[in-house]
Amino acid sequence: MRKLLLPALLAGLLASPAWAQGARTGGGEGDLAVFKKACSGCHKWHGGGGGGYGGEALSLRKTQLDKEQVAEVVRCGRPGTGMPYHLRGAYDTVKCYDSLKADMGSSMPPETAVFLRPPEIDAVATYVVTQLKGKGEPTLEECTTFFGATSRACDIYRKKEGSDAPTASH
Amino acid sequence: MTTSRTARRILAATSLAALTAGALPASPALAADAGVTQERLLNADKEEGNWIHHHKNFAGHRYSTLTQINKGNVKTLKVAWTMHLGGIEGGGIWSHGGLEGTPIVENGMMYVTDGWGSVYKIDTRGGEGKLIWKMDPKTDREWAGAVACCGVNNRGVALWGDLVVSHTLDGRLIATNKETGQVAWQRQVADPDKGETITGAPLIVKGMAISGVGGAEYGIRGWIAATDLKTEKEVWRTHTIPGKGEPGYETWKGPNNAAVSGGGSTWVTGTYDPDTDTIVWGVGNPGPDWDNAYRPGDNLYTDSTLALDATTGKIKWHFQHTPNDPYDYDSVSENLLVDVGGRKLAIEADRNGFGYAVDRTTGQFVWATPFVKKVTWTKGINPDTGKPFEYDPTKDVQRYIPSATPSAENKNADFCPGNMGGKNWPPTAYNPNLQYWYIPVIESCNRVTHEAMTTASLKPREFFTGGGPSQPFRITGSVTAIDVKTGKVAGKHETQFPLLGGMLATPDLVFTGEPSGGVMALDAKSLDKLWEFRTGGGVNAPPMTFTVDGKQYLAILVGLGGAWDKWFIDSTPELKNIQTGSMLYVFAL
Repeated sequence: MRKLLLPALLAGLLASPAWAQGARTGGGEGDLAVFKKACSGCHKWHGGGGGGYGGEALSLRKTQLDKEQVAEVVRCGRPGTGMPYHLRGAYDTVKCYDSLKADMGSSMPPETAVFLRPPEIDAVATYVVTQLKGKGEPTLEECTTFFGATSRACDIYRKKEGSDAPTASH
Repeated sequence: MTTSRTARRILAATSLAALTAGALPASPALAADAGVTQERLLNADKEEGNWIHHHKNFAGHRYSTLTQINKGNVKTLKVAWTMHLGGIEGGGIWSHGGLEGTPIVENGMMYVTDGWGSVYKIDTRGGEGKLIWKMDPKTDREWAGAVACCGVNNRGVALWGDLVVSHTLDGRLIATNKETGQVAWQRQVADPDKGETITGAPLIVKGMAISGVGGAEYGIRGWIAATDLKTEKEVWRTHTIPGKGEPGYETWKGPNNAAVSGGGSTWVTGTYDPDTDTIVWGVGNPGPDWDNAYRPGDNLYTDSTLALDATTGKIKWHFQHTPNDPYDYDSVSENLLVDVGGRKLAIEADRNGFGYAVDRTTGQFVWATPFVKKVTWTKGINPDTGKPFEYDPTKDVQRYIPSATPSAENKNADFCPGNMGGKNWPPTAYNPNLQYWYIPVIESCNRVTHEAMTTASLKPREFFTGGGPSQPFRITGSVTAIDVKTGKVAGKHETQFPLLGGMLATPDLVFTGEPSGGVMALDAKSLDKLWEFRTGGGVNAPPMTFTVDGKQYLAILVGLGGAWDKWFIDSTPELKNIQTGSMLYVFAL
């Protein structure tokens, strides 16, 4: 019993300060830090998705899902694709799409490398629907929000917006 | 640039004052022979206790003649000392940096790099390691890390004169004063604005630093470039994708002008044949990786071995392994230069699962043999032509075995080896006495989802891959030995995990490491495991050996690096437990 309680207790203790920090950018805009950590590798920094070593990821800018649906996909993954589930215990202690692991067979989605806590899932779903969904081409402002202003990572957008070249449509 | 250079100098000087104050002065004998020359590089094997080339010698053998540590006593090998390094910070799309480098050792002084390109000079005398200086190039982590397909990596330094020569992920070539650790000069060689990065160690040939580039997943047009270390100027730059009017340009057909974004990166350090003044260098995959219909034709010189005139950079010959590649089967691996049975060979272990030997004076095909357990994309290599049996020169778009090939008609294709290989960058080693060639193998299959590309998909600093892989299959590994006399597999030592670190050969042993943390020694002939030490970290770097104070040591960098933990971990779920780290291990009897 003690063995079972200890991790839960620790998780509770750790969760509050970490979440408090995450909440800095949380609230109505969601949490960029969680998006960076869990999503940007495959969905790209701008959420536009496309191919890459992370697989063939869907565009979150073009998504039709609402916040609760996004949160469900983050929790449970997308069966039959490379989109992993991010909730500890999904398909095991918690049913996903009304199913457990045994029901899923070969369409069982992969497990994430790092699980997200429920508040993080909520915050990243908020980020997706408020910051990415429905947006057009990525902008300099979005780029510097993601990468910071001190790096050259967004120079290509500066060049684009500062030159006669056609600017990205927003 | 001047300002930042000065700033860097000041920084290096101040942060290291404390360290250098406490360090032992170099002995006069060591100071006198501190300069590395072409003569010394040509005769690197005669400096038995040193390791002054990335691949140990110009021929890329990674073979040490040292025998204090041998078959009879290797089981008593233990940790002599360790040193924690830095560079685990994240940047761009990466949550952490890692270690993939080969330590360089000259007269007891060791030079290693971390993933972000910091160089560490370590005094290994007296049975312990003392940090003499650290040069931090202040890599622009977001700029570079956002277009690094496969991790925050740097594979080490080279030595020339009184300089330590290295690269950074953000595309610089840096010359650091060997004694002081101050940056002497630097130049931008690659441009991350175009998706170019550098991870390889430089190859030094006749006072030139040869640099290769990464970025074939981002629509680059690859190259190999030579910088004069005296004038600090570029001597030549040879593109791996021919320009208009150049031979090979006709192998890029169709309406997409595909050659301009044709890939062909060169991110693994090549080798050099002084007899013919030829640099032999491997070229990576074409872009987009998995949509070969976007780029009809053979797509030269992707997936090829290139021989370049070292003085001019002119292409002397090429040999292509996977024409019009639909799998991401790089041929970026090092070519070892070996003389066997009266033939001068270049041998390369390809991502496509076959080991190849070609005549290195002409590029003529000699043999190919599968070194992985499972190949599904072809039924084999035609011994007459060196091309896959299914290759049809009359067709612009190759399908090989169509059920195993991603295409518009086969959106989800499973193929073996998977897109990581076969064999990836981790270097092979060659024992010239046994004429055995040791390959660190990824025994794999994976699944690729095809995405049709258009010219509108091509954007700077964006993945341009034509789909992406997933990992529904478990991946394992092996050390596979090929007898170069016969071109046949001589032995296979299977491992639970893919080998992501690389090989070292000595007269009767081979050493390698596993991503689960083990560093091991195998019998050079039987491949039986004779010794293992669990480091507790991810081994993604090759071992090397050296002597100091007359005693032999084995050194290896340990720190979760590379692409595996981000993109391929589902195939090896146990490796999710491996934590980030950055540590040098040194072993002795």
